[in-house]
Amino acid sequence: MNTLTAKKPATSLNLKWLKLAPITVIVLLAVLSPVLGTFDPERVVADPSLSPDGDHFFGTDPSGMDIYSRVLAAAGRNLLIATGAVVLTSIVALAVGLLTGMNESRSGIRAYLARGASRVLDLFDAVPAIIVAMVFVALYGVSPTTLVVSIAIIMVPAQARLVRTEVLRIRGEGYVDAARMSGEGEFTVLVREVAPNASWPIIENASYVFGVAVILTAALGFLGIGLPPPTPEWGSMISRGASDAAVGRWWSALFPALALSLTVGSVALASSLIRTRR
Amino acid sequence: MNRLLNRTLGTQRWWVTRILVLPLHLLVFAVVTFFLVRAIPGDPVLAVTDGDITPEQYEAVKESLGLNGSIPEQLARHIGNVATFDLGDAMVSGRPVLEEFGSRLPSTLELVFLALLSVGIFSLFASALIVFRPKNPVSRVLFVYARTAGAVPEFVWGVAAIFLFYATLHWAPAPLGRVAGRMRMPETVTGFPLLDALIEGNTRAAVSMIEHLVLPIAVLTIAQSALLTKVLVSGLQEATSAAPTRFRIASGAPRSAVVTSMYRRAAPPAVTIVGQMTGNLVGGAVIIEALFGLGGMGQYAVDAINSKDIVAIQGFLIVISVLTLLVFLLIDVATMALDCRRRPGAAGVAL
Repeated sequence: MNTLTAKKPATSLNLKWLKLAPITVIVLLAVLSPVLGTFDPERVVADPSLSPDGDHFFGTDPSGMDIYSRVLAAAGRNLLIATGAVVLTSIVALAVGLLTGMNESRSGIRAYLARGASRVLDLFDAVPAIIVAMVFVALYGVSPTTLVVSIAIIMVPAQARLVRTEVLRIRGEGYVDAARMSGEGEFTVLVREVAPNASWPIIENASYVFGVAVILTAALGFLGIGLPPPTPEWGSMISRGASDAAVGRWWSALFPALALSLTVGSVALASSLIRTRR
Repeated sequence: MNRLLNRTLGTQRWWVTRILVLPLHLLVFAVVTFFLVRAIPGDPVLAVTDGDITPEQYEAVKESLGLNGSIPEQLARHIGNVATFDLGDAMVSGRPVLEEFGSRLPSTLELVFLALLSVGIFSLFASALIVFRPKNPVSRVLFVYARTAGAVPEFVWGVAAIFLFYATLHWAPAPLGRVAGRMRMPETVTGFPLLDALIEGNTRAAVSMIEHLVLPIAVLTIAQSALLTKVLVSGLQEATSAAPTRFRIASGAPRSAVVTSMYRRAAPPAVTIVGQMTGNLVGGAVIIEALFGLGGMGQYAVDAINSKDIVAIQGFLIVISVLTLLVFLLIDVATMALDCRRRPGAAGVAL
């Protein structure tokens, strides 16, 4: 094994890490946005709908706010919400997947509960994500926290199913039996043997969850029911830009849309690094 | 129980049992919507009304939300209401929620149906091009597009399309409704606007509607086709090297017969994904309706959310859930009909 990796040319190993470059740049831009931003992102700073020039790099929106500063300021918020959603989804999905997977082929009431839970989760997976997000936001209000929780609720069924499938496979593996026979308790087996081996599908799929989280947050903002203006947020910026685009002013929708798509794309690119199977 | 079902239904059991679980699924959604509203932090009545009401109004709102009585009582009443399709009266308009949906749901369904048709046709052609003409530059572009499924959401495509085809090229009409301004909508017969215009013989309205629908449907197609194309391509590629395909080629079957059989083999996973696609398209339609001012369920839901109309929102979730349940029922029965290995109880059959 070692000899095989040693034979590989050194350059291919280095080039591989370039896949991390786009997302690193985006995160850096988001972190440095207070320094890089040229205007207050939540104030009217100039005439409305100015085209891009030396002062306002990306122009101004219909109410006269600087688009460049707002796109940058929104990056941090959108990235944080998506990261929070990925973390929460992964933790809950791992727990749910482990519990349903380990109990499903037992006998008795726990098996029925586990199978029932799996079916109910499958049912929820069927409802369109944006509808669930809309209802959730309508009932519990909009804040970064409710956004994170609602995205997690939307993504947990699919992720938990991935874990469950993996758990069902691992249950019969030799090392699980070996751990049991060496006297480890059921909980220890679950945490030390099954969980680490069953979590790779959610790690692999994390970039997808991240993409959905970014897009859902923006979609709610686009519908005018996400984070309220003047909070900088890509979705609501694209929505305001839509009326501009209809009269031929391309800039106020283009730049937030580019930011959104580049973020989703670069996370997908970075995640192809850890995609070991398939 | 199992034996009884087998004896009475025989070989038809697979689809009958699938239909029989539908009410159970509906019950699950009824219970979940019930607890979603009860889980609102604090007093839901105050959350909806901002607290600026008289005690009598408070009681009235409480009753319209179904919050009077004990929890089991409320739950029983709620399930009874859902079972009889009584979704309550919208708090803003005072009209029954179901009636309000009745005039809006068909136009959304029309958009979803046309978009689904368009996605299906696009995916069939795109997958054929990718699999049978892999070196064609167009199919290379399509292949990359299929792999980046969903990276660019429909509202971005929509704004780009409005800028390009309306603002710059002036090919598309203004994104401000279903028909040109001042034109009256046709009489309601079926509720589906385009179908009504055709029934009425009102060609001017029908043409105007089609003009207004081209861009939204094109946007939905571009934004949503990637998933179906990807599934079809992988199914076809698998079918290319499958033994039955090689047998057909070796025995000199005409090219069209080989291609048909390959699509037949790729069909079950593609049909399964159509269920998810329909869900995605309903979600996409909600956004596209808001962008193109098409009315329908999307705008209604956004208005309901902005006016905190919990009764309407609850009804919205239930109606969409019932819709997806029905679609998934159809899809399940269709895949089971296409591929008998997918029928329940067929697990023991040799694959």
